[in-house]
Amino acid sequence: MRETLRDLARRPQNGEYLEIRLEHTVTTSIRIHNATVERLKVTEERGGSLRILHPKTGWWFASFQGWDDLEEHVAFGLRSVVLLPQSGTGVIRGEGTEEEIRFSPREDFRGKPLGEKVQLLFAYARMLREASPFVVSAVVEYRDEWRTVYFANSDGSVIFWEKPDISLSFVATARKGDQIEVYRDGVAGKAGFELVRGLEELAHRVGKQAEALLFARPFPGGVYDVVLDPVLAGVFIHEAFGHLSEADFLSRNERLQKLMVLGKPIASPVLSVFDDGSLENLRGSSPYDDEGTRTQRTYLIREGYLSGRLHSRETAFLLGESPTGNARTISYRFPPIVRMTNTGIEPGTVSPQDLFADIERGVYAVEYVGGNTALELFTFSPAYGYLIEGGKIGEMVKDIVLSGNLFQTLGKIDAVANDFRWTEVGWCGKGEQMGLPTPTGSPHVRLREVLVGGQRHA
Amino acid sequence: MFDCGRSLWGDSAMREVVSIAKARGIQADLFVRKVWEKSIEYEAGVFRGYVAREHTGCGLRVIRSDRRLGFYAFTLPCAPSEAVEQALEVSAFGDAVDFTIPSYPSTTEWKDFVDPRLEGLSVREMVEIGEYLVGQLKATHPGVLTNVRIAAGREERELFNHHEEEIRFARTFFEISIEATRVKDDDILTVYVERSWGNRDIDVDDLLKEVKLRLDLSERMVSVQSGQYPVLFTPSGCMVLLYPLLYGLNGRNIAFGKSPLQDKLGKVLFSSLFSLVEVPQEPWALGSCPFDDEGILTPEERVLVESGKVEDGFWDLWSAARTGRKTTASGFRRSPWDMPEPGFSVLKIKNGLRDRETLVEELEEGLVVDSLLGLGQSNIASGFFSCGVQLGFYVKGGEIQGRVKNVMISGNAYEALKNIRELSRDCRWVQGSILAPYILVEPIQVNAAS
Repeated sequence: MRETLRDLARRPQNGEYLEIRLEHTVTTSIRIHNATVERLKVTEERGGSLRILHPKTGWWFASFQGWDDLEEHVAFGLRSVVLLPQSGTGVIRGEGTEEEIRFSPREDFRGKPLGEKVQLLFAYARMLREASPFVVSAVVEYRDEWRTVYFANSDGSVIFWEKPDISLSFVATARKGDQIEVYRDGVAGKAGFELVRGLEELAHRVGKQAEALLFARPFPGGVYDVVLDPVLAGVFIHEAFGHLSEADFLSRNERLQKLMVLGKPIASPVLSVFDDGSLENLRGSSPYDDEGTRTQRTYLIREGYLSGRLHSRETAFLLGESPTGNARTISYRFPPIVRMTNTGIEPGTVSPQDLFADIERGVYAVEYVGGNTALELFTFSPAYGYLIEGGKIGEMVKDIVLSGNLFQTLGKIDAVANDFRWTEVGWCGKGEQMGLPTPTGSPHVRLREVLVGGQRHA
Repeated sequence: MFDCGRSLWGDSAMREVVSIAKARGIQADLFVRKVWEKSIEYEAGVFRGYVAREHTGCGLRVIRSDRRLGFYAFTLPCAPSEAVEQALEVSAFGDAVDFTIPSYPSTTEWKDFVDPRLEGLSVREMVEIGEYLVGQLKATHPGVLTNVRIAAGREERELFNHHEEEIRFARTFFEISIEATRVKDDDILTVYVERSWGNRDIDVDDLLKEVKLRLDLSERMVSVQSGQYPVLFTPSGCMVLLYPLLYGLNGRNIAFGKSPLQDKLGKVLFSSLFSLVEVPQEPWALGSCPFDDEGILTPEERVLVESGKVEDGFWDLWSAARTGRKTTASGFRRSPWDMPEPGFSVLKIKNGLRDRETLVEELEEGLVVDSLLGLGQSNIASGFFSCGVQLGFYVKGGEIQGRVKNVMISGNAYEALKNIRELSRDCRWVQGSILAPYILVEPIQVNAAS
């Protein structure tokens, strides 16, 4: 296969940039709902894609199934790309490389009998259900995926990857009359089956938390000082800032480029933010991105100043900067686009306890349900929170959605604690491409004067 | 320019899969979805590229004689006997189910919704539409950067069962979306408008008009005080009210006790102005289908909510059997790789008597909400929502004063549906599958940053 790819990637004669991607993916998904197997499926997919950029026209991308007609696809693509309109774009070329990136998990999930997986999940579902009499629905959702990818491009790169991914999540729905609360938590990683063992305590906790939410009070809307726990702070930086540092948003927008000019003070000096796809074995990690560019650590904000952005080969070309290894795709069905990898807020020096001390009335926002961005505006939701009154953490509260504005909110971060940790379960959707693993990391962070949605105005 | 409809694996192999199942005394259905799609993109007013996709996905569901369910999904080519083996292996650990794979109707008297103008749509034609949209916006709104996506394609759904019956239908689709961005000082405005339909008849001028209107209304930024206001939700804005209701009407959620509507079918819960119907055979709407993804013939019309009274939910074979009901032809698959789940085909919210302009004119003070951030991130099960307003306008004295920013709206969708004051006469299709009017709700909690 490698020989064929090497040969095909050399076909361009007129300065075209060409990429071929072949994928084989086997996935097992199991969903235990109370005492039943609600979903149990094995899927197998084999497909490929071809992407060509002609120096005088635009991008040609074709996604197909089966690996047999590669030669025809390439010939047809090269003939067709010439006919497209002009796009005025280009790519930064790289050095060719030949590599084989294999992965040996401790306990390979491919070798596990289906029965063993199902048994373990049943046991978890029982614990989740028995954690509280209020739990009406206990869902245990398991997924393992083994993806192998062949990649070749006209720079002379031929890369073979093994990309395993495994996740397990617990979802408990608790009910009291008409009141319904849902709580979820789980694990995910680039790992083997060992990752999903020994999670009894987590299952129990998820059931308990769903129950606790039934008795928590809704948090009234208004403007508050907020402390974010490391999990939510990671989601916050992903939504509040990460997306706008993806260079495809501004590569053709001069006004936006001026607004986001490197070196501009954009946040308070306590804030430094990075994206790093080269870290070992996080879910967003890989030695190369999906254009065959080496991944790296990129500082997006350093001590409050805008210091970098995330690039594909194309956005780097358009902005006259260097690729950063952030072109990623969720599968052969889509072209790679600029994405985050593992994104984090660098730890500060104060202890997390210190962040609460001078908050008269605020909220401690914990874990997350999700987040959403439309360029400068964003929202993000904690799973629950606690009132902060007179510097002390008080009762549990719920129904909290935080919102903000990039240009205002980053300046309102006035303290970053020293307890950094990664959260791996997160995923991100952009355009049509949903479900890309994007771990986030952060310590506790304090924000002043955040707009919080809620039913009653405080 | 694109080679379409090429069959990678003939129907004979599909037939062989279900025949093997039949010979082994197993119930089975094989769902096959073949799609080809081509699209072009403009970024900041400049042509970017062309994307072509051709995919076939197959999902094989088996029920053994001891009622255990198995599922194996695959792409082609795959040996028929191997597909059956894989599904059977899964079924050893599957749930015992109370339904059987149905027989398919022998008649094939439905019409495919295939528009030859879309099957034959050339890249050149797509580029012409793209250039027109970009050019028009550049002429009237020079400071605005426009992203455009135009996609067209054809989808074919086929079902084969162990009775050795088969049914199929095909449809074309056409989608145009515009995302217009205007940057002024440190304000970034994004206006997103889309049209999706089963045939070529998307009115691009109407689409342009809608983008321009939103841009013009956003010229002025105004502030709003926190408090309770009447809110006029546009057709796309009112999805915040609809999503929790669809969650509640989902038969699977009802079967698992997760729906607040569990014991409320047949009761009046909402304003008498609110009625919702499913119209599965609506010509050219995107979700329309003669049968669902389990092979059950769809009705022409089905009432879900009538004058505030909840009449019925969405039931697939599994959830219907679980609760002793009949399927409502609502078993849909997100993809061939997914098993069927309760879903909807095409929905219509009943409209009112007066135009949206009149509703705005009569509004003393309030908001018009067009798009929201964080839909589905609140507790959708309980109906609670709290969303950032991505695009919304402040109304005073019956006139739109300008755009509001850094504002959130919160409430409970079930409560809001009780508090509907009026629905507009004029409606618009959202994502080609939900026909919705403007909905005026009072009161809604608004929280502002300033």
